[in-house]
Amino acid sequence: MNIANSTLYNTLLRKNYVFVGAVFVGAFGFEMFFDTRMNKVWDSINRGRQWKDIRSKYVEDEE
Amino acid sequence: MAPLTIASRAVARSSALRLATAASTSTNAVAARAAISTSSALQDASSSSSSYSSPFKGESNSSKIPDFSKYMSKGSGGGNQLFGYFMVGTLGAISAAGAKSTIQEFLKNMSASADVLAMAKVEVDLAAIPEGKNVIVKWRGKPIFIRHRTSAEIDEANKVNVASLRDPEADADRVKKPEWLVMLGVCTHLGCVPIGEAGDYGGWFCPCHGSHYDISGRIRKGPAPLNLEIPAYDFPEEDKLIIG
Repeated sequence: MNIANSTLYNTLLRKNYVFVGAVFVGAFGFEMFFDTRMNKVWDSINRGRQWKDIRSKYVEDEE
Repeated sequence: MAPLTIASRAVARSSALRLATAASTSTNAVAARAAISTSSALQDASSSSSSYSSPFKGESNSSKIPDFSKYMSKGSGGGNQLFGYFMVGTLGAISAAGAKSTIQEFLKNMSASADVLAMAKVEVDLAAIPEGKNVIVKWRGKPIFIRHRTSAEIDEANKVNVASLRDPEADADRVKKPEWLVMLGVCTHLGCVPIGEAGDYGGWFCPCHGSHYDISGRIRKGPAPLNLEIPAYDFPEEDKLIIG
């Protein structure tokens, strides 16, 4: 495989600023994915113990 | 029996003497050799340096490049190059996300938490304050002036030429509802608490160094550099004020 013919190389890696930009965009996407994923893990570990889970037992009058 | 033992003793003594002399001569020889050994060893080393032989046997030519063909890529190597770039980029992205998260969490940690903010609010019933009266409440350890202004006072506050003020600020920028003036009761000079309904401009007067504030809490005369500060406040419903 010749690297100059690869579309990945030509679109993302040939220019350094494109590469760095892709790295930062990737960091943003990875952070969103990782944060939501870890929040889900945390909520599943602490199911039934957080305020949002037990709120319905104490607060009823507010619409 | 006696002469025999004497004879045997004599033989034994003479042989022992011979051994001892032999041993002494040999030790003498060793000592003598040790005495001259330093100079002779130096001589030996200097004489042998001319014909140096490397201790690393078998490396006849140190600039010979080993054969790496066994480890080289079978193709052109483009795939390996792409993989290298991909790994660099991925690790860079993860590191960037981690660095950003670290800084963000540290900064978030320094700000007040939700329970502290909830405790730091003050609720005031405005229906109990008649027109033209001041009320002072305590908020985060500082006095808050609340004045129910009359329409004449509002007109007076709007009449002032803003450009002529020391700290130019229009009255409309300092209030959310014109009839309610809410401000921090701390003189901007050195932090005394001004007296209400006093001073040359019908507003507040600081007794410590004689700063006069007008009916909008703006500095008009005296040493204070700035207008009285406005805290964050809100009217969630009619006749109810929440400061903080």
